[in-house]
Amino acid sequence: MSKRGLAIVGIGEVPTLRNPERTRWDILLDVCIEAVRDAGIDKNQIGAVISNNPMAQPSMQNDMSLGKIPEVMGLEGCRDIAICNAGGASTTNCLRLAEQHIESGQADFVLVPHTTVQSDIPPQALINFFATAPLDKQFEYPYGVTFNGSMGLITQRYMYETGATEEQLAAVTVALRAWGALDPLSIFYGKPITLDDVMNSRMISTPLKAKECNLLADGGGAMVVTSHEIAKEMGDKAVYKRGHGTRFMSATPFMREDVFHRKAYRESSQDALAQAGLSIHDMDLRQIYGAYPYTQCSALEGYGVCEEGQGASLWADGRCGPGGDLPCTTMGDATGRGHSGSGVSMAFYLDTVRQLRGQAGERQVENCEHAILTTSGGSVMNTCTTVFGRAPQ
Amino acid sequence: MSEYKKPLPEIQPYSQAFWDGTKQHKLLVQHCNSCDANIFYPRRDCPKCWSQDLGWIEASGKATVYTYSVTLEGVEEMFVEDLPIILAWIDLPEGIRMHANLVECNPEDVHIGMEVEVVFKDVTDEVTLPFFRPVK
Repeated sequence: MSKRGLAIVGIGEVPTLRNPERTRWDILLDVCIEAVRDAGIDKNQIGAVISNNPMAQPSMQNDMSLGKIPEVMGLEGCRDIAICNAGGASTTNCLRLAEQHIESGQADFVLVPHTTVQSDIPPQALINFFATAPLDKQFEYPYGVTFNGSMGLITQRYMYETGATEEQLAAVTVALRAWGALDPLSIFYGKPITLDDVMNSRMISTPLKAKECNLLADGGGAMVVTSHEIAKEMGDKAVYKRGHGTRFMSATPFMREDVFHRKAYRESSQDALAQAGLSIHDMDLRQIYGAYPYTQCSALEGYGVCEEGQGASLWADGRCGPGGDLPCTTMGDATGRGHSGSGVSMAFYLDTVRQLRGQAGERQVENCEHAILTTSGGSVMNTCTTVFGRAPQ
Repeated sequence: MSEYKKPLPEIQPYSQAFWDGTKQHKLLVQHCNSCDANIFYPRRDCPKCWSQDLGWIEASGKATVYTYSVTLEGVEEMFVEDLPIILAWIDLPEGIRMHANLVECNPEDVHIGMEVEVVFKDVTDEVTLPFFRPVK
C-alpha cells in the first residue's frame, strides 16, 4: 500500500480558558482520547507520538520528550516518540515529521498532541519569557523591549508604508473577536467587541492597544494523521494536505529585510498552491497565524488576494470577518481565541479540519472545499504555508 | 552604579570589542576584511562569506529612525521606572540596522525618518549602552 501524503483523520480539543485547576495532563489525556475516538481507530494502532513542545513548561516538556505519553496511555503499538519545538510553528514541524514516519512505513497512524497551561505561571515570568526567548538578549532585552513592543515597532512601520489607519487595524481585531464570539472553544465565546472597545482600550506599545495584544491562556488539542491511501478508506472525516511551502526570514525582528513577511507569505503560498495544482483564488478560507493584526493584512497582500498595502482595508470593509466574501482566520487568531502558547498553531489546524468537514457551527464557511493556512514561529521567524482540501489530489 | 537592576547585555567573546567601544563612547561596527560587509550584530564568522578576518570601523553616530514604538505598560518590574520607553529601529549610514531606545525626546515628537545621533549611558562601571537622541 502506498504510504504517501498526509491526511488528518481525527481531532480533539478543549476550550481555551484561564483555569489553573485544569492540569496539563488532564488536557493532554482528554484531547488525545478524543482525537483517537474521532478517528475511529484503536489506541494500539497509533505507531508514533509526535508532540508539540509546551514552551515555558519544562516539566511537561521533559515528560513529552522522554516518552511518558505512550507509557501512560498504554499505546502498545507505538514504535517511537519525538517532540518538535519551533514556537508557534511547532505543530507544523510535528506534521512534517509525522509524514516521514508514515512514508517510511514505521507508522500508519501518528498522534500529534499539544497541551499548555499558562495561567499558573506568574505574569512577570511570562513577560520575561516572551521578551527573551524570541528576542535578542544582547541587543534588545537590555532596552526593555517586550514582545508587544517588538510587534508595535513593525505595526508602526506598516501603517507608515501603507497608509493603513489605527481604525482599520482595529477592525481586524473586531473581526477576529467576532469569529471568536461564535466559537465555543474561544475564551471570548459570546463576547464580541466594537471598534470603540478596541480604540478605547489601554495603549500598550504604540500603536498597539490592549485588545490588539494577546491574552495568554491555557488550551490543548490533538490530531491523528495518516497517509492519503488509508484516509480514503475512512470516509468524510479525512482532510487532505495538498501542498506545503515554507520560508525562513530571521530570528530577530530588526534583522529582517522582509519586515512584513510579504515575500515569505508569497513564496511559501506559491509553492504550496503549485503542489496542490490550485490558485489562491480557489481557496475558500484563509487561516493566518500571525498573532498580531498587521500579519492578517500583510499575509493577504503576500498571498496575492489584494495589492500591497490594501490588506487592512479588506478587513475594515468587513470582507474577512463573519458574513464577508473573503473569510479569513475563522479560528480567531490569538487575539480572538486566547493564546495557548505553541498550541495556537494546533488550534489553527483543528479549526481548518472542522471547516473542511463542515463542522464549524455558526462560523462555517459555505462550501468549504479548500483552505490555505500559514503558521509562524518565534517573532515570525518563518512562514509555513499548507493547502488542505476536502478531497485528495 | 552597583544599584543597576535591569538586565545587562549577554556579551559574547566576539562582541566584546563592541562593548569596549561603547565604554569609550564610540559606536563600533563589525567589518569583514574579506568581503567588505558591515555586520550587525557582531558574530564570530562573517555571515556573508564565513571569513574570520573581521575588524571594526567607527560609525559616525548619525542615523535615522526606521520605526518606533512608545511602550506604556507591560514591561518587567525593573523597567517600570523608565516608562514611557521609546523603542526604535535605527538605520546607520554604515548600512546596518540596530535596536536602540530614543532618549532626550518627547514621545509625541518622534517620527519615522527623524534624524538622530548616538549618546552613551554608562549604566554600570563595566557596561555602557548606546541610545539615540534627536539631532538638535
